[in-house]
Amino acid sequence: MSEFNKVSLQRAKRHLLIMAVLGLGIVPLMYFTGLMPIETVNMLGRYLCFAIVAVGLDLIWGYTGILSMCQALFFTVGAYGMGMYMAHQYPSADNPLIPQSLYVVYPYDIGQGKGEEILPWFWWPFKYFPLAVILSILVPCLMAALVGLGGFFSRVRGVYFAILTQAITVAAFLFFSNNDMFLCGTNGLSQFRTFLGFDLGDDKLKLIMYMMTALSLLGVVGLCQYVVHSRFGRILVAVRDAEPALRFQGYKPHHFKMIAFAFAGAIAGLGGMLYTPQMQIITPSNMAPIESILIVVWVAVGGRGTLTGAVIGALFVNLIYSWLTSPISIGSVQVWSPDFWPILLGLLFIAVVLVIPTGVVNIKLPSFGRKKEVKA
Amino acid sequence: MLSFILCLCLRATADDAAIQTHIQTLASRKSSERAVALDALVATGDARMVPFFDAYRIGSIYLREGVPFIGGDVITDNNLDQFVSLTSVLTGETLLDENGEPELIPLLELENLSPNRKERIKVRSVSMLLNLSSPDKDTRLKAAKQAGVSPLQTDAIPFLTGLAENDPSRKIRHTAAESMALIEFGTSDDVDVRMDAIRSLGELNSLRALALVENLLEKDETLTPKQTAIVTAARKNIITHQQKVKFFDNFKFGLSTGSIYILMALGLAIIYGLMGVINMAHGEMMMIGAYTTFVLQKVFGHGPESPQNHFFLVALPASFLVAALVGWVIERLVVRKLYHRPFESLLATVGVSFILIQVVRLIFGDNQSSNSPTWLVGGFEVANDMTLSFNRVFIFFLTMAAVAGVMVLMRYTTFGLKVRATMQHREMAASVGIHTRRMYSMTFMLGSGLAGLAGCALTTVSGITPDMGQNYIVDSFLIVVIGGVGELIGVVCSGLGMGIILQSLENSFFSPVWAKIIILTMVVAFIQFRPAGLFPPKGRLADV
Amino acid sequence: MSVTAPAFDAINYPMECPDVNSLWAKKYILALQNITAVFDGFKALDLHAFAIEHNELRVIIGPNGAGKTTFCDIVSGKTRPTTGQVYFDGQDITSLSEMAIALKGVGRKFQTPTVYDSLTTFENMELALPGNQNPWRNLIHKHSADDREKIFHQLERVRLADDAHTPAKYLSHGQRQWLAISSLILSGPKLLLVDEPAAGLTDAETVLTAELLLELRGDHTVVVIEHDMDFVRQLEARVTVFNEGQILAEGSLDTVRENEEVKEAYLGR
Repeated sequence: MSEFNKVSLQRAKRHLLIMAVLGLGIVPLMYFTGLMPIETVNMLGRYLCFAIVAVGLDLIWGYTGILSMCQALFFTVGAYGMGMYMAHQYPSADNPLIPQSLYVVYPYDIGQGKGEEILPWFWWPFKYFPLAVILSILVPCLMAALVGLGGFFSRVRGVYFAILTQAITVAAFLFFSNNDMFLCGTNGLSQFRTFLGFDLGDDKLKLIMYMMTALSLLGVVGLCQYVVHSRFGRILVAVRDAEPALRFQGYKPHHFKMIAFAFAGAIAGLGGMLYTPQMQIITPSNMAPIESILIVVWVAVGGRGTLTGAVIGALFVNLIYSWLTSPISIGSVQVWSPDFWPILLGLLFIAVVLVIPTGVVNIKLPSFGRKKEVKA
Repeated sequence: MLSFILCLCLRATADDAAIQTHIQTLASRKSSERAVALDALVATGDARMVPFFDAYRIGSIYLREGVPFIGGDVITDNNLDQFVSLTSVLTGETLLDENGEPELIPLLELENLSPNRKERIKVRSVSMLLNLSSPDKDTRLKAAKQAGVSPLQTDAIPFLTGLAENDPSRKIRHTAAESMALIEFGTSDDVDVRMDAIRSLGELNSLRALALVENLLEKDETLTPKQTAIVTAARKNIITHQQKVKFFDNFKFGLSTGSIYILMALGLAIIYGLMGVINMAHGEMMMIGAYTTFVLQKVFGHGPESPQNHFFLVALPASFLVAALVGWVIERLVVRKLYHRPFESLLATVGVSFILIQVVRLIFGDNQSSNSPTWLVGGFEVANDMTLSFNRVFIFFLTMAAVAGVMVLMRYTTFGLKVRATMQHREMAASVGIHTRRMYSMTFMLGSGLAGLAGCALTTVSGITPDMGQNYIVDSFLIVVIGGVGELIGVVCSGLGMGIILQSLENSFFSPVWAKIIILTMVVAFIQFRPAGLFPPKGRLADV
Repeated sequence: MSVTAPAFDAINYPMECPDVNSLWAKKYILALQNITAVFDGFKALDLHAFAIEHNELRVIIGPNGAGKTTFCDIVSGKTRPTTGQVYFDGQDITSLSEMAIALKGVGRKFQTPTVYDSLTTFENMELALPGNQNPWRNLIHKHSADDREKIFHQLERVRLADDAHTPAKYLSHGQRQWLAISSLILSGPKLLLVDEPAAGLTDAETVLTAELLLELRGDHTVVVIEHDMDFVRQLEARVTVFNEGQILAEGSLDTVRENEEVKEAYLGR
């Protein structure tokens, strides 16, 4: 372990500790003392799910230099996995085999009469909680590996890869929106009742899910910190800096990239999986191309190449979003209309590139990065 | 019956008084009397009878003091009293009030003639027959087509024979022959006649007969092997023709969609090739071109009622210029700082596109439809059932002209030379005195302008929405990926190819979703073999 | 430095196809046969026969566009030759990927020194350590004290030890050259392709670079591509002159300098 790495690792540990205190200590404390309503805890829980995806993206974009515009796809696939499990908890009255959610849009023109429908094969495994959890992470992971296989092995690099991933997102979005895919089309999965024996309206469930999400986020950040401080992580950075040179040293960059990409896909799946019980609806619009670009912006706003930045960026942008998508009035004068939000968001995109290219975590601390070492 | 037909052919102008009397008889309660009167009216063969019959069929004939009138739409006022405007059957004049407006007459003062079902059918076929000898081409064509639709009438056959042999329009001759065969098949009891009809339908490649023929093959078990052979042959003929038509349609739609793609991808490719900028707001340049056209159309007051076609001649350059201007502003404010930083430029221009979409949405609302200039409406028929619509042809030629223009600009002008020099070696170009920033700025404007032109062209085939550009941007980028940034011809090939393949997949047994997925798989597979596009750069410069 | 130029005779390249099992193939560590590289109709390289002996230090010189870098590209697998075969250590490596060629023991320094900018000097060297290319093992791998010592020894040799924990992007051009050469040496390949190691260096730096390369003589095969004649003189090696993709002359530096064709190629016609 080099000196440099040591400093960086100590800082990472410090950040992790602060996050743990804030997420697992302060927020529950505020809830129990009545300072924070359960709705806010629930909202924070959802935003932490976004933070999880953002951390995954930071690993592949910030460190490895792969811009992926399909993280929202992996997120939504994970969310659908858990959604399918939850849908199973509310079977239709007409046919107990079929979840109500699916029953509403079940196509009858394939020769199955009302009440005689057969559950589509890929819904079966999601009946069982452990399987649903495993698949919600594994399927996005494998999808990412597949995308990586198609892209990295043929040396599709840089923006070409980004465009390819966006095209994949568009195709998947159409696929999920299609009514014939037994995924409930544009309606998505929404007919849920219970989760792990809790009623969905139960405050206890909301708190538990928040804690689960915060723990998962800490775990993911910790794991990613370990990876980027390992030799593997340094090779990822080398991929970003000079991928061709790495090949002449006998490394296979595409293997490293694919592993990192699949890992980020799994992380996104985990985030999505935790998201469904808290949002209680999941639709294809969660994977619309714009959503993936938003994740990129969270990371950019926070500061790419710093895992803490990804978390901060995701929370920061989403909190502004929740604040500014309702009208704001001073006295009787409406000073803000939600119609202006896309314009503000657009300005944020531009600002993050032109004004704060290193992200908010680096604004106050100009020597936060590696420059510090030079002066020493 | 023969005399009746002869009378129709004579198209004599009958005695007004007689017509009036006959119409008055139609108000009678005795259906036998009415039948006689109707026959008599038909027998007059008077041209004025066509609007009369049409109105009679839908129950819009009114008698006012015994004089027959054709009524307009029934208007109901607040007291639930009903009024109608009247046009004389005999003179064709509309009754006016003192202000010169059509006079509204209370329904209570009028006697309404309502036909029974039998009369309705008769009147319908009679007006069809009358229309068959109309001097107007379109009316004749419509009638000829209608003749082949149920209820089939043997009466029409002599007319159709005449049309099929002598009409100056090839399309009418064809349609008449087709309808004739359909009638013969549908009405005749003689198996041989029916088989002849089937045979000629097959020879005529009649798409209208396809369902009929297939039904016959499936359901009719009395067919002898020889007859089956005839029907099968006809079916084969028609299906071959249908595939040709399908292929033609795919080609046609693909060509125009591909043309739009080319206009879009051309700009993207030169912008990325020259300055390493991924312009995600390129789709919005197209949207701006479309809205420019829309605004100009409103300014010129163009509409289907009052065509002001010259607006389009202004809109073409204007859409280019406005988009180029907006492009210039974006270049100045945002892109200028992001040359050769594709990721950053991608993010920033996504932001620009959000802003543009939302601003336009706040100004214009969500959906607008535009009207093409009238000379782009319609089309010419290349073969049976294959019509090239003018707007699609126009888009194709506009694109080809733009491509040729860009190629000439790049190859044979000083500007092009400077751009190519900057593209190959920026520092070197700058050191020999090329103002590279200006080159960048102008190229960005050129690219944006081309997208604006695409938007203008797109208004002739589809509606306008603030986020219309989003539908094209991803595909356009894929085209650049396939075509490569080095050669414009690569973009042209991949654009047309993508348009036609996408269109063919969508219209064959795949749904649009699957078409997209298949295209994407094809692109990924393609990149495996040619990571640098169709025409990759070679040698040491190739860093792939 | 006393300069007694050793006499190097040109290699008498055999014309028959080298056989993997023949002694011929064992004789040379690198052999190129009938290699051509054509880009858009332009013949960048056209070598009928070319070989490097085991543990030889060879210098390739030639005017711009002579095909020197293309030669490196073909040997290291960056570019595929249009025709012909490349044999390394008796094996045909023509169709292998650059990764496979690197693993077989061909190391390369590029014309512009490529280092990983965000990584520190030490980390750059660490990645060059041989035998750690498996992705999964890298997740748990920690370098040994022995490795660390090796790295620092090499860094001290090029006066980079003080900057061991500086990100490479803050190094000077000369330091980057040395870092690139040091990584190459550390990775311990059988054959080192060193493309312009002295480009952009001061005279003093050039001398050190030459010393580094000379140290390798005897147990490494080194191919140096260079423009700088003073530098080439310091290396005291057999020189091959490339021109327009072909071998123009071969022998000691003085011999080739006397060659009329070489003079013509350098001075223009």
